[in-house]
Amino acid sequence: MVSFTDEKLAEVQAIINRYPEGKQKSALLPVLHLAQQEFDGWLDVPVMDYVASLLKIEPIEVYEVASFYSMYNLKPVGKYMFEVCQTGPCMLNGSDDIIAYIKEKLNIAVGETTDDGMFTLKTVECLGACGYAPMMQMGKIYKEHLTKEKVDAIIAACRANAN
Amino acid sequence: MRKLLLEKAHVEGIRSYEVYRREGGYRSVEKALKMAPSDITEEVKKSGLRGRGGAGFPTGLKWSFLAKPEGIPRHLVVNADESEPGTFKDRYLMEFIPHILIEGMVVSSYALGSNVSYIYIRGEYAWIVDILEEAIAEAKQNGFLGKNILGSGFDCEIYVHRGAGAYICGEETALLESLEGKRGNPRIKPPFPAVKGVWERPTVVNNVETIAAVVPIINDGGEEYAKIGVGKSTGTKLISACGNINKPGVFEIDMTISVEEFIYSDEYCGGIPNGKKLKACIPGGSSVPILPANLLLTTAKGEKRMMNYESLNDGGFATGSMMGSGGFIVLDEDQCVVRHTYTLARFYRHESCGQCSPCREGTGWMEKILLNIENGKGKKSDIDLLWDIQRRIEGNTICPLGDAAAWPVAAAIRHFRDEFEWHVQNPDECLKRNFGLAHYADAIHVPEIA
Repeated sequence: MVSFTDEKLAEVQAIINRYPEGKQKSALLPVLHLAQQEFDGWLDVPVMDYVASLLKIEPIEVYEVASFYSMYNLKPVGKYMFEVCQTGPCMLNGSDDIIAYIKEKLNIAVGETTDDGMFTLKTVECLGACGYAPMMQMGKIYKEHLTKEKVDAIIAACRANAN
Repeated sequence: MRKLLLEKAHVEGIRSYEVYRREGGYRSVEKALKMAPSDITEEVKKSGLRGRGGAGFPTGLKWSFLAKPEGIPRHLVVNADESEPGTFKDRYLMEFIPHILIEGMVVSSYALGSNVSYIYIRGEYAWIVDILEEAIAEAKQNGFLGKNILGSGFDCEIYVHRGAGAYICGEETALLESLEGKRGNPRIKPPFPAVKGVWERPTVVNNVETIAAVVPIINDGGEEYAKIGVGKSTGTKLISACGNINKPGVFEIDMTISVEEFIYSDEYCGGIPNGKKLKACIPGGSSVPILPANLLLTTAKGEKRMMNYESLNDGGFATGSMMGSGGFIVLDEDQCVVRHTYTLARFYRHESCGQCSPCREGTGWMEKILLNIENGKGKKSDIDLLWDIQRRIEGNTICPLGDAAAWPVAAAIRHFRDEFEWHVQNPDECLKRNFGLAHYADAIHVPEIA
């Protein structure tokens, strides 16, 4: 049975209170972020159904939103997700090489997760860090001015942190 | 030049209310709450401020369109869904000096009669949500938000609403759909948000930088603000510069400097790395036309091109471009225009919401054809086909994303057709080397300051 803790339920209520009465559906995007963070980094169908029940909306209203926005994961992801930008300004600064290097280093293709469940590699479109290219998002933070050495260091730090 | 938005951005501790206030913050709220709301709108009109999100629509005029039916709440929604490739100025402002946005929002909310205002921020800027919420809490503790602000009787709350990864939500009606918890599908206009916006209530949607600019406008007066700049390009503008330049970053300019000075001066971009030559530039975010070096630095009439709305647009789309969002992308002589255009086409295909067939299908076709040409698998007829597709997208969609997808492809073919043809005619060679500079920079001398 999927359920938020009492603390998280209070957070959900605080989010709902930001919007006018009867417009609790407006809380859907922030609550889905919270659900993804609480339930292993992705939105399984029971999780989405649970969010629908919390907001008193139909499950389909959650599915259609979850599948529209690129930040919601509809399948399991690794402990660390590398989301590497590949749009124009990053491309001009060598993002293609960075993506190729991560693929080689982790031995996975774009969209895949390493066998140990540690890393997922995704390519994304412009994240608004064009002046600090090439870059990737890792969870809540941006890793900017990427080089191969910096990628090595990030991967090593993730592994060390997980042990 | 005097900076209006970023002057204090690097004062130590400016993120905190205490330092921001000590440096003169929130004075505009004290002043504004003693004025009539309509007088604030008048000051904004006098300032000549134009929307800083990309369209450049006069802000005061937009505010004056807001419907005020009895008994129905109105809302201000700040558009912080900054997603146009090349643009990262709002992020900079919110990250380094968040209180200027909150201050501008309190004044603007008072002018518009919005008691609950929202910041719609792109989902990826997750750490900035924390910065903004901290600033909001501090403003509230110090009486600049909440009930009866400074004893004026005006109540105002601000909430941050985090998106979840969708460029289209930067379009104002898609943003409102998203704020309502739906897919970001743009609405058919009319009705405009000023009449029926979020929850069918009258709504004003403004860019982060636009709302921040309200602070100096109220502090100094609209007329003083309008004295900065030139013609209809008043005030200061944040430009985020990136690509192949020595000093990428966010710069505040007063719109009287030339494009050449902006690229080569040490005060701004600091020239192009490794002494390379300038090939091309997209001056206002990925949607606006790319220009070859010679047309970028000098207009078709032979005048120096300046960093303002009018001059960047001089020559229309035939030989000019746009100020757009201020996302300034520089390409050096070793860059491939075909590959660069391909990444942009891929971006728009990825970001199309799928409502309108010309955009949903057309962006995908353009991406595939461009990838073929880039990979030496293109035909000469593909170039004409690309031109044809972009023409059929432009103007045929509910929202401007269709135009935004069409323009970069159109401009690339218009100005760099020989590079596309070279790819088609040299399918093997184009995999090994780039086309280079050709004659794109011919008439341009290398400035002494380079």
